[in-house]
Amino acid sequence: MIEVLDLVKEYRASDGTVVRAVSGISFRVDRGEMVGLLGGNGAGKTTTMRILATLLKPTSGSARVAGHDVLADPLGVRRHLGYVSATTGVPDRLTPREVLQSFGRIHGMDVGRIAPRVEELSKILDLGNILDRPCGRLSSGQRQRVSLARALVHDPPVLVLDEPTSTLDVLGARDLLDLLGDLRAEAHTILISTHRLHEIEHRCDRFLVIADGRIRAEGTREALTAGRPGGLEAAFFSAIAGEAVP
Amino acid sequence: MNDSGTGIASRWRARTAIARRDLLEFVRDRRAVFITLVMPMAMYPLLAMSSTLGVRTALNEIDRNRPASRLTLALSGPDAEAFAGLVAVARDRTDGRPLGWPESLTIYAVEEDDAKPLVDAGDADAWIPLAPGTIKTLSSEGTVTLKPRFSSVHPPGRSVREHITAVLRGVADLARRTRLRQAGLPADLLEPIRIEFTAAASASHASGIRDVLPTAASAVFVLLALLTATGAFYPAIDAIAGEKERGTIETLLIAPCAPVDVVAGKFIAVFVVTLVTLLANAVSIALTATVLVRLLPADALSGLPPMATLSAGGIALVVYVGLAAVAAALCLTVTAAAKSAKEAQNTLTPVVMLIAALAGSAILPGADTGRWVPALPFAGHVAVARAALSASIAGASAVPRPAEPAPSAADVALGLGISLISSAAVTWLLLQLTATLLTDEDILFRGPDAASRGFTRPPVRPRPSPGESLTAAVAGLAALWYTQGLAPDDIVSGLVAQQALAVLLPLAVLAWWQRVDARGTFAVNWPSRSALGTGAVCIGAALIGVGLFVTGAAVALATWGQSASPELRDLAERLISLVRSGPAWRALLLLAVMPAVCEEILFRGWVLAGLAGPAPSLRRALVAVIVQAALFAAFHLLPERMPQTFAVGIVLGWLTLRTRSLLPAIVVHAAHNATPALLVIAASDADLGAIQAGRPHQLPAWAIAVSVGFLLGGAWLVAIGGRRRPLGTTSA
Repeated sequence: MIEVLDLVKEYRASDGTVVRAVSGISFRVDRGEMVGLLGGNGAGKTTTMRILATLLKPTSGSARVAGHDVLADPLGVRRHLGYVSATTGVPDRLTPREVLQSFGRIHGMDVGRIAPRVEELSKILDLGNILDRPCGRLSSGQRQRVSLARALVHDPPVLVLDEPTSTLDVLGARDLLDLLGDLRAEAHTILISTHRLHEIEHRCDRFLVIADGRIRAEGTREALTAGRPGGLEAAFFSAIAGEAVP
Repeated sequence: MNDSGTGIASRWRARTAIARRDLLEFVRDRRAVFITLVMPMAMYPLLAMSSTLGVRTALNEIDRNRPASRLTLALSGPDAEAFAGLVAVARDRTDGRPLGWPESLTIYAVEEDDAKPLVDAGDADAWIPLAPGTIKTLSSEGTVTLKPRFSSVHPPGRSVREHITAVLRGVADLARRTRLRQAGLPADLLEPIRIEFTAAASASHASGIRDVLPTAASAVFVLLALLTATGAFYPAIDAIAGEKERGTIETLLIAPCAPVDVVAGKFIAVFVVTLVTLLANAVSIALTATVLVRLLPADALSGLPPMATLSAGGIALVVYVGLAAVAAALCLTVTAAAKSAKEAQNTLTPVVMLIAALAGSAILPGADTGRWVPALPFAGHVAVARAALSASIAGASAVPRPAEPAPSAADVALGLGISLISSAAVTWLLLQLTATLLTDEDILFRGPDAASRGFTRPPVRPRPSPGESLTAAVAGLAALWYTQGLAPDDIVSGLVAQQALAVLLPLAVLAWWQRVDARGTFAVNWPSRSALGTGAVCIGAALIGVGLFVTGAAVALATWGQSASPELRDLAERLISLVRSGPAWRALLLLAVMPAVCEEILFRGWVLAGLAGPAPSLRRALVAVIVQAALFAAFHLLPERMPQTFAVGIVLGWLTLRTRSLLPAIVVHAAHNATPALLVIAASDADLGAIQAGRPHQLPAWAIAVSVGFLLGGAWLVAIGGRRRPLGTTSA
């Protein structure tokens, strides 16, 4: 469902130098798979995810989501994609219900289908008691749940989540990740990035370790941690340090 | 997943959904709603009240402080006492005193020796020596000559002379009546006509109010333009910059619709709010006017038919719908480049000044609905509204005013049509630009480092940014304006100073400061890989330049005819004088080569490079070419030249982008400017005399056909000779 091939993204920094944020990475995420994208700050995670969300254009290489190329068919990508990042917000003066209704309309859903979908998401994400409260009065955890509901309103088969738990407390993060597990079980394809490795260590099918815009290691938790103590975190540090990882 | 696919219906569904969402957010912002919609409703009553109170207070104050007119006369001679008695009789007449009679009159009958010191001491305004027999002469036949004398120490003012004249006329009138009575003739023998004004004050008010009404209404139209545009500010700031601040803009940009659809949705929301603001203002103005009408004298607005006035108001409202659209789009464009609401507010401040300047320029004397004015944003809207009102007042007036010819209904209708079409075009262009800015990666994900760079010199870069491009053009425009006042009157020095100060100096400072790659920015490339190809391109460019001038002149003659403005005639005469008074090489250097090189470096070099970027998409290239052509047209200041310079700017911009070389544009520009100079050199004195006398010839059909042939042939040569590079590819 997600195919990335030799993806390169360069931009010009404020000091005039050309920075290569993503340097020829390739990977794929299959249907029903949940893959963790791990990396430090500036590793290229957010840039990669923004390219997949069609917010940035790649300098070269290609990326496809649900069979649609991000450059040739960005609207096709957006129809099949749900995107949430740590910085995506919700309108303060609208209620979650209004947010979901408006995005349902923007995504071209039939009016008759929007209301049941909002109720469905309300149950899934436990929005019942906040559905008609202005988003500006919600806690950060509640706002992030609304944001995820917004990304799911058109029932996309692919989810790209850039540090979705960064503003959540432990309980909020656990609930969100439980939900993602349920979505994966329903054959959703999920690419998730986070700095909190322990949160997703046992939830993702595979991991991609990215540093300096390159994929340094790729594989299941078992494959990455084979023969080395310290679990996924140790494998991550080894990978970004340039050590060989199985 | 979504239920509908692509297509116009789904695009409009997305647009309306975005508009609905934005409007919902707007109406929940009580402060913004108050400032945008409620404040205008209170503005006009407050302004009207304060101005009415102010005017009344000022009038009362003036009346209170006005010194009473008084006159003190010294009379000398044996008939002084008797003459003073006649003056007293004239003062006490009930059937009217002569015009200019003083409110307070004192008369001293004195000896001749005492009279002069009295006047010199300032105790009397004048001294009238009366010859012996004055009274007798007055009551019989003959004329008495009176010679009032004034102080050399206290010379009299005009009012003293008027008062003395009035007093003596009063005495003369008494004497005339006495003579008629003695001759047995009726007293009204010498008064065949008596004028009696009835309700004189009211008539004066009515006339005065009708005189000031257009001016007062024009001021209200300018205020209405500003307040209507203000209605777009808050929703526009919230629509894009606010969304960026809240982190919600990304959620819209990943929706399955094109950026231009997102912008269109937001435009609809901002436009609706702006329209509601316009309506709120219009209602407030109408209600305030009804109150003011009651405060005016009863017949002050007599002769102004309500239907004509309502019709003018309706036309003004329609034309301001176009203004609301342009204002909404302009505010969106400006705020699209801002990262936060605060940044958006800062960038909107110059927009307020721009709108105020444009709207205000429409009420200057000479600005009318003719020709180009209605096509200008804001200025055109105010001008058309003003013309509609002038037409309705003129239609209602019994006496025509030849000094201020009012526009006809056809003029107003044409102006309205041009204004609406222009508004739609400008709005569309601004929305395209907004969509480009909205998805600009640098703006969208720009970090705080870019915002806090301040005045530190930027690093070396291949090209200037769009903002830096516009800065150069605006700085050049401002410098051009100031140069007009500072440059020497001599046209040769003036032209050199203009190009040096308005074009090269700002550009040199910016280019040095910004440290851009000169070769890429100023397109320093050969237009072809071979010398033969370069030659073909240059010949083609020269043909295009000639063709552009001749076809442009033909269109201008057909459009303006003999009604060229005095400024354009003056410029033409000065240029003809320059060409005829010196060697041909000087004229060609000053009029063709110098502006071609300087202006091309600025507009097709710096400005176009920054606006288009290194590898522009077709849409960005189009927007860049149109924007730089508009700036190029504005740079020529005279409105009548703007359509042609805009068209030339389009051709030059496109040519530069296609050939990636500045040389063809320079050649086109030089050939375009050289053509009229060569024609003037070749023209006979009779031809020039006819042109200078305001009898321009219509171009013969064969000349137009040849110029079109030049255009087509030139384009063909450029196409085959130039290394045509498709847009979107980078330079090899």
